[in-house]
This record gives sequence, structure tokens and C-alpha cells, in this order.
Amino acid sequence: MASKFWTQGGSDTEEEETDIEDEIENGGAGETTAAAAGSRYLQTNASDSDDSDGQKRVVRSAKDKRFEEMASTVDQMKNAMKINDWVSLQESFDKINKQLEKVMRVTESDRVPNLYIKCLVMLEDFLAEALANKEAKKKMSSSNHKALNAMKQKLKKNNKQYEELINKYRENPESEEEKFEDEDEDESGSELEDPSQIAAESSDEDDEGEDMDDDDADGAWEKKLSKKEKLMDREFKKDPSEITWDTVNKKFKEVVAARGRKGTGKFEQVEQLTFLTKVAKTPAQKLEILFSVISAQFDVNPGLSGHMPINVWKKCVQNMLVILDILVQYPNIVVDDMVEPDENETQKGADYDGTIRVWGNLVAFLERIDNEFFKSLQCIDPHTREYVERLRDEPLFLVLAQNVQEYLERIGDLKSAAKVALRRVELVYYKPQEVYDAMRKLAELSEDGEKDGDETKVEETRGTSAFVVTPELVSRKPTFPENSRALMDILVTLIYKSGDERTKARAMLCDIYHHALFDEFSIARDLLLMSHLQDNIQHMDVSTQILFNRAMAQVGLCAFRVGLIAEGHGCLSELYSGGRVKELLAQGVSQSRYHEKTPEQERLERRRQMPYHMHINLELLEAVHLICAMLLEVPNMAANSLDAKRKVISKTFRRLLEVSERQPFTGPPENVRDHVMAATRALCKGDSQKAFDIINSLDVWKLLRNRESVLEMLKAKIKEEALRTYLFTYCSSYDTLGLDQLTRMFDLSDAQIHSIVSKMLVNEELHASWDQPTRCIIFHDVEYSRLQALAFQLTEKLSILAESNERAVEARTGGGGLDLPLRRRDNQEYAAGTAGGGGGRWPDLSYGQGRQGSSGRAAYTGGGRPLALGQASRDRSGQSRGYSGRAGSGMRGSQMDASARMVSLNRGVRG
Amino acid sequence: MANSMAKSFLQVAATEEVVSPLRVVQIEGLVILKIIKHCKEFSPALVTGQLLGLDVGIVLEVTNCFPFPIREEDEEIEADGANYQLEMMRCLREVNVDNNTVGWYQSTILGSYQTVELIETFMNYQENIRRCVCIIYDPSRSNQGVLALKALKLSDSFMELYRANSFTGEKLREKNLSWMDIFEEIPIKVSNSALISAFMTELESDTPVTQCDYDRLQLSSNPYMERNMEFLIECMDDLSVEQQKFQFYYRSLSRQQAQQQAWLQKRRADNMQRKAAGEDPLPEEDPSNPIFKPIPEPSRLESFLITNQIANYCNQINGVSGQSFNRLYLMKSLHDN
Repeated sequence: MASKFWTQGGSDTEEEETDIEDEIENGGAGETTAAAAGSRYLQTNASDSDDSDGQKRVVRSAKDKRFEEMASTVDQMKNAMKINDWVSLQESFDKINKQLEKVMRVTESDRVPNLYIKCLVMLEDFLAEALANKEAKKKMSSSNHKALNAMKQKLKKNNKQYEELINKYRENPESEEEKFEDEDEDESGSELEDPSQIAAESSDEDDEGEDMDDDDADGAWEKKLSKKEKLMDREFKKDPSEITWDTVNKKFKEVVAARGRKGTGKFEQVEQLTFLTKVAKTPAQKLEILFSVISAQFDVNPGLSGHMPINVWKKCVQNMLVILDILVQYPNIVVDDMVEPDENETQKGADYDGTIRVWGNLVAFLERIDNEFFKSLQCIDPHTREYVERLRDEPLFLVLAQNVQEYLERIGDLKSAAKVALRRVELVYYKPQEVYDAMRKLAELSEDGEKDGDETKVEETRGTSAFVVTPELVSRKPTFPENSRALMDILVTLIYKSGDERTKARAMLCDIYHHALFDEFSIARDLLLMSHLQDNIQHMDVSTQILFNRAMAQVGLCAFRVGLIAEGHGCLSELYSGGRVKELLAQGVSQSRYHEKTPEQERLERRRQMPYHMHINLELLEAVHLICAMLLEVPNMAANSLDAKRKVISKTFRRLLEVSERQPFTGPPENVRDHVMAATRALCKGDSQKAFDIINSLDVWKLLRNRESVLEMLKAKIKEEALRTYLFTYCSSYDTLGLDQLTRMFDLSDAQIHSIVSKMLVNEELHASWDQPTRCIIFHDVEYSRLQALAFQLTEKLSILAESNERAVEARTGGGGLDLPLRRRDNQEYAAGTAGGGGGRWPDLSYGQGRQGSSGRAAYTGGGRPLALGQASRDRSGQSRGYSGRAGSGMRGSQMDASARMVSLNRGVRG
Repeated sequence: MANSMAKSFLQVAATEEVVSPLRVVQIEGLVILKIIKHCKEFSPALVTGQLLGLDVGIVLEVTNCFPFPIREEDEEIEADGANYQLEMMRCLREVNVDNNTVGWYQSTILGSYQTVELIETFMNYQENIRRCVCIIYDPSRSNQGVLALKALKLSDSFMELYRANSFTGEKLREKNLSWMDIFEEIPIKVSNSALISAFMTELESDTPVTQCDYDRLQLSSNPYMERNMEFLIECMDDLSVEQQKFQFYYRSLSRQQAQQQAWLQKRRADNMQRKAAGEDPLPEEDPSNPIFKPIPEPSRLESFLITNQIANYCNQINGVSGQSFNRLYLMKSLHDN
């Protein structure tokens, strides 16, 4: 039925339908269903007029038609205003906006029609009126009230675009209201800047590059800014002689007060303040304003994780230098952040004799600048040119730091000077001599060129209007000593003298790192051990811990380079024990399979990453660690082949070896790990040449400065360990072994072999003796009797028992004697001594007989007993006997590892 | 023999009231031979048997014994064992042999007899017979030319504690009982009738040394030492298990104490408030609270026994190694001669 009806009516309403469609096209798209009734009315209204104009459609231009439409909407709005109908007013407003778009499209001009502006003004007035009339507002229906509020928002947002035009329009008909309105609009306009726009602006700023003061691209605030500028210029420029300290101070206070407010544009503020520096009347005032400029520049930084725009950073540095200029020029000005200075302190002119206190903290600013530099390096992709460009700014900072430090030293603030010195140290400590030289050269070269440019730029910005002209007193060029060591020494000495705890610790770590970088292992080690840093590093902050890890890694590499394998392994094994090297060195985020990080943690971790140019090459580190482990572990495994579990030197290495042995097919080595494993296999057979060849084929060696000598050392070490491994493995097969044969096999000199073998004999690793006349090693076949083996086992059990006894006493007496751990360690050492001494540790000898006997006993005791005996004939051997002893010794082993990790540095050179 | 026995009877009748401590176990030679035969034949299986005899004042006379049959694993034949025992006693009485049970004998390996079972058996016997002994024979040790025979009884103070089943540290300290005071060894005196002694003298050969003496010179003590060591190691393991029990106990005890303290603190604070509000304070003890339930202290019995065992092994090792040294010196001097 319905369809029938519709089809019938179809022809009748066709025309109307098309009209309605047209209408919808015109304006109705944005209308909400909630306001359906109103829209209906409007539509019909509109279509009416449309219809009536329908005849003339051919005659009139499209432009006129649109204007017509608009006018009618305005009429509607007027009507709605009369009856105070905000709902329909809102709809009409939406409609008129749509229409405006079309009008603009048709007229193809940027000019907004006057009609529209007039309408806006009208609306605004009405809105203000409605808002003012509280009585009426209360009486409104809820939908009406809602519409009023919505309208208020919309209008504000909308009007912002046409501010100027509105103002112009207002100026013409009603000029007396101007001031108030102007203010109002400013406020509202900036307040409602939506975030996307701000983002767009700031991103624009980022892209903009060098000069952002005179030419800005974006619309909204730029116009406002120019207006402000105009305003200021009006205030100051028109009569330079009239500008007093008071006016500047007032304006300054005003601008500073606006800081941090919601509507305050950050760049704008920087601009305003920069302008104010030009008109500052006294040096102290200029200084004060400059401090504010820098703070404002810091504010520009979009977030905690993002970095400050580079050009702003550079400006910041320049401003700092100007501050220093002023401070140097007027030594009576004191910068202080402890006391709130007098309100009119800065009024005192340049000729004032007494001290002028200005609020500010140079060190904090400097540290902030450094942090921003660091952050920018973290954020920039290290493989781009941008990164390199950014790195070139380093000398700039170093100049600043140097100057600040000099200034602080001059005024006797050594503690702060130490802090600044630490910042400098942290920029230098990781640089090898080559890099340092390069930086020096760069600083010398580029500074010359750049300085001119900078100066002119500074000159430009300052313009002729700067009242307080500051000559460049502080040098703009860094002075570097020839040698980075010399620089480090100077800075570090200062820090040690007057730094606080953390500064000293960090400086110490940097110092250690630097020494290690320069292959001065013993100095680095002594510093590390003397400072006792490893004892309390757990209590320090994370970034210091990272620095500690870096220093340890570098000391490890250094030990390896100078041929101290055991020490190198001692330093590095800790890093590799957890498989989180990247995380420990802050050189990348390691993904853990078992433990999901929260986004918060991840962000924190990302924030403490090291910039790329400070990284320690992880491949090299891994190679060194594994090679050290290999050189120590292979002979050790050969020596203790009977009991593989005992005396593990490097668990990591053992695990890797197990994995590689489990592989059914071993392909040619690809990564560092494969290479070392392949070398290990060769070394296990005593094939030193092959092992060395494999190691040599690693391409990380090209990262070493003294590659040749290191490889030479490595070759010698591999030969030596191959010899030791061979002797351990095959000593049982020989009665005697000729020195000459060994010389031939391992390509070592007689003296070397003699010394290696003798050392093994002395350490009781090898049970043999030299037979000098025949140049032979005579092996003694030493094998323990079962009784001796059992005695060993018993002593071990006893020591475990004694240990747990001690622990029990400790728990009973409430934690205690300092001598306990010491004694325990002695026990371990003793146990280890008895274990290692023989070169063969008895594995768990099967208790064949004893067990049988006792189990037999169990069986028999059940028998033939009288009533009394018969019951509960459980033998002791039947008790469940957890093998606590084993577990205990395992634990002990790990303890020993832990205690030995740092001490291993102490021990003499092995091999 | 019969004469002396009659006198003994008289003595018993006279001193019945006075409980005199047991000083000597007097064993007939025949009994010893029977025990040795039984134990040796079944070695290394462990066997037991009944001792029969008389309790005469400070002397416990063991005049006869009979072995228990070795039984299969099945527990159900236990009644058979009891029947056998009773039957045997009846038969012996009929042939007019002493049929008072005075204890039992058992064989052991390397002196590992200090077990809870032994103590339980002892306590069982003690219920019926005031004085009983356990004779322990170690065939493995006898191989070395020693008569490894021991008569044991439990000390009175220990029995008291055992009956009360209170082997806490406090009680032990109170009684001043250490691990050495569990067992008492009673000297054994071997007695033979004059006739047998005369016969033995008749049998004795003229040679100055006997087979037993040769045995004593045997130098290989290694296997014996090894097994001692093995058992020692086992003991160590057991001891550490015991120790862990104690550690656990102390840990939970301290935790409980901390909990109690916290609870008390809270309760006191509450009471203060209640007092301020004019209410009656709550009791400061709450027996229903689980944190006030005392944690049972682990018994020390096991560790005492293990310690005893260890001491035993150590003695054995000591003895054997001492003898071995003697033999070695002897051999050396022989060589030198």
C-alpha cells in the first residue's frame, strides 16, 4: 500500500523533491536530527524564496543568488533574535557559514562579504547582551540554553578568523566600544587556539630554520604577533628618549607574568622578551631580561622526551654568552638564586658602585642546555647528516661551559665550577685522541667562519635600538689543550677538589673510562679499586650506574688490549651474565621475552639512552668477552673433564658452547658468537693456528687502534692456552713428553714452553716433573684411592655442615659476627683448593656397596622379630634423603663467583 | 653352677626391694657361640634373637638364647613370629632351661645400630622386664680378629624423657642430657662352668699363636675404612637434613614472633582507644588466633642418634687406623730385623 501511495505521489512531488534536494545541498548537510523541526521550517522557508526566485534563475548570476541566500539567512537570524530563539539561531549560523563557503568559492576572492561580517558583529553583540542578561538566561528552556552556550563557543572560534575585519567594521560604525572589544577578542582568540593549530605552528617553527623573528609563515598568531609588535613599537619606538626603566620593567613584569598561562604563545613570549632586551635601560635589567629570555626559550621545548629546536638552542647559547659578557663587563653584578632580590635592584645603572643582585642560576641554565643537546642527539637519527651537523655544535657548548667555568672560578664558586667542569668532562671523556683532535680542528676552523656570521646576526637582531650595548668580552672560541688527557686532568682535578659526592663519582668514572681508552689499564684499575665505587654503585642513580657499566666495559676492553685476559674477563663477564648488555650500557632497548615493560618504563629507558657517537661497539665487546672466556675456559674444561659442573669460570660461555654443540650441523661462522665457538672447537683439539685464523677473520678488529699488536698478543695467548689444553687433555696418555716436540707442535720457543709448563707444575695443575738432561716432561700417574676420594667428599660435606651451622647461630644471635663471611670464604677457598688441587675432582662415586648393604638391611630387619621389634622396622636408608649437599655446593659456587668478580682485578697476572 | 644359681635366687629374694643399678652382664660362653654362629651364618643379613637368663642384683646373667626365624616381607605372619616365640619359651621351660626373657641380641653392620627402632624395641621390652639388655654383635668387625660384642641399655634419664616424648632443647638442657647419655654400655663378663673351662684347657693346642692372632695381623683395612667413610657421609647428609629442619623452625618462629608483636601492638593501641572511650579493654591474649598457636619444636632425638652414630663410626675408624699403624710399625721393625 505504502509503495503504491508513494509511487502515486511521486509525480506530484517530484519538483518539490528536487528543490529540497537542492536545499540540502545548499545548507542542510550539517544539520542535526535533534533540530529537525526547525530545519524543516527553515528549509521550507528557504525553498519558498528559492521558488519565488526560480523564474529569475537564468537572469541572475550565481553570485547574486548566493548573496541573496545569505541575506535571507541573515533575515532569519534577525527574526530568531527577536524571539530569542537560540536553537534556530544556531542552525542559521551553521547555514550561513556553509553559504559563506559557497560565496567565497563563487566570488573567487579572499574577501569576506561585508554582509557576513555584519552578521557576525550583530551576533556577537546579541550574544554579549544575552549573556549579560542573567534573568533572561535563567528563564530560557534547557534546549535554548544549551544552544546559547554552543553558540557562544562557535562564535568565538569562528570570529577569530575574521578578527581584523570585524575590528575594521566595528571601527567604522561604533568606535567607542573598540578598546574593550579588542581586548576581549584578543583574549578569547588566543585562549581558544586549538592544540592542533599550536602543533602546526610549532612544527612550522621547527622547519623554519634560522630566522624566525622577522618572517613567519603561519597566519593566526603571526598576525596577532605583528599586532603586538606594533603595539610595543608604538609604545617604545615612537619616542625612544621617553622610555624609562619603569616602562620597561612594567612591560617585563607583564610578559613574565603571562608565562605558563594557557593562552600565552611560547615563541611570542621569547620574541617579546628579546625585544625588551634591546630596550633595557641598565645592564642589570638587561641581564634580568636575558635570564627570562633563556627560561622562555627552555619553555619552547614541546615535551619531556622531545628536544629543544636546534635554532632555539643556538640562540640560547648566544644569550648565555651575552650574559657572561655583561657579567664580565660589570663585575659588581652578582647572579644569585638564593635570595629574592629587591624589586628595584635592576634600576641601578651601569655606574652604580655597589653590588647588584640579579636572580638567576648560571649552572642550572648550563646544565639544561647540555641536557637539551644530549636529548637532541638522542632523538636525531644517527645516520643522517643532521646528526653530524648537530655534533658540530658541540664546540659551541664547550666554549660556553668553559667561559661559565672560568667566570665561576673567578667569583670563587668552586662547587658550581666543578659541576660545569663535570659537564665538560662528560663531553670529552669518551673521545679517543683522534676524535679529540678532529674536534679541536673543527672548533678552530669553523669557529672562524661561523663567528662572523653569528656576530652579524647578533648585530642584526640587536639592531640599532639596543640601549645597553654589550661588547663581546668573553672569547667565542674554545681553547683546547693539545692532549685530551691534559684537559681531563685539569678538569678532574678541579672536580676532585671541590665537587660534591655525585660529581666526584661521575668524574672518577669518566676518568677511569678515559684512562682505559688510552690503554692505561693499571691506572684505571687502581682508580676503580681505590675509589671503592663498585661497593656503593648500587645506591647511585641510574645514569651513574650506566656510566659505571660503560667504564667497566671500557676497562675490560683495555685489559684485553694490553693482554690481561683474566682481568678483562672479570670486568666483562658481569655485563654479559644477564644477557642485557644493551640495557646495561644504555645502547638500545632490549626486549625481554618474559617480562613486559610498561610504557612508562620504556619511556624512561629511552630517555637514558646514550647518543650514538658515544656507543661502545657491542660486537667488539662481545668478541672480547667471548675470547677472554674461551682462553680461560678451554683449558679449565680440559683440566676438569671428569667433572664438568665444577669450577665453571664463565657460565655464559658454557651455555653458548652447549648450544653450539647441540647443533647437528655447524655451518661456516657468521656472527661473532659463531666465530668464537668455531675457534673454541679448534682450541679444544689444541689446534692453535686454526683457532687464531678464525678469530682473525672477525672484522671487528678493524675497530682497534693498535690492531697488529693486539692480534699478535692474541696469537701468543691462543698458542699458550692450546698448549695448556693439550697437556691437560692428553697428559694421561703420555709417560714422557719431549720439549722439542711441543716446540714443534705449538710453534713456541723453548723458554716459553718451559715457563708455561713450570707454572702448571707449580700450581699443581699438572702432575709431572722436568727432566732437564733429556728435555722431557715426566708425568706422574697420580690417582686417588677410593678412600681418599671419599675423604674429600666427607670434608666437603663437613664444610657445608659447618657453614649452615654458622648460619643457624647467626640467625639465633640475630645476625652477627663480621668474621663469619670471611671464614666462610676461607672454607670455600679451602674446598676449592682441595677440589682444584688434584686436577681431578671425584664425581659422586656410586655408593654401590654401601647402599646395597643398607638396603639389604632394610629388607632383613623386617624379619624374625618379636612383637616388639616387628613393628615399624623402617631403616634409616629408607628415609627420603634430599640431596641438599649438592644444591648447597652449587649455591656456594655462585657465591664464590660473585665474591671473586671484583677481586679478580686484584689478582696477579696469570699466564 | 646349680649351686651358684641357688645362691643367686636367694640373693634376688633378699634384695628385691632395693633397685640396684646393673653393673655387669654375665654371658655364658655357649650363648656367645650361639650368637656368633647365628649372626655369621646370615651375614650380611641382620638377624635377631631372644636372650634368656636371670636378673641377679647388679649382675644380669644370660644363660641361654634362641634365634628368631627370618621372616618374609609379609607382615601378616607376625602372629607366627609371636607364636614361635611363645612356643619356644614353653619348650625350653619343659626342658628346665632358664626361660626369663632378659633382652635380645642382634647383628649389625659396622656398628650402625643407633636407630629409633632400637629405642622403640627397648621401650617395649622395658614395659615387661625391668632390666633388659641388647647384645649387639658385629660380624664384619669380628673378621679382624676382635670379638665385637656389646651389651647396651638405655639410660634411665633418657627413658624418662622418651616416655614424656619431650625432646625439646629446653628439656634436654634441664636434664643435662647430651647425645652421649642415650645408651649405656655395660661390661660383659663371659663365664663358663669349671667343667667347660677344664675341657677348654685340655683342648688348647701348644702353638703360641692362634688363627685369631693371624687375623689380627691382616693389613688390608681399606674396605673397612671406606665403608665407614661412606656411612659417615650418609650421616652428614642426614645431619644436614636435621639442621635444615631446625633452621626452618627458627625462621618460622621468628616470623611468628614478629606477627605476635604486631598483633599485640595493635591490640594495645585499640585498648588505649577503648579506654579513652570508656570501654573495657580487650584481653591481650587471644588463644583462638592462629598466630598464637605454638609451633612444635622439632625433636632432637634423630640428631642425637645421628651424632651417636657418627661418634661410633669415628671410634671405629680411630681404632682401626690405630691398629693398622701398629701393624705397620710392627712390620717395619720386622723388616728391619
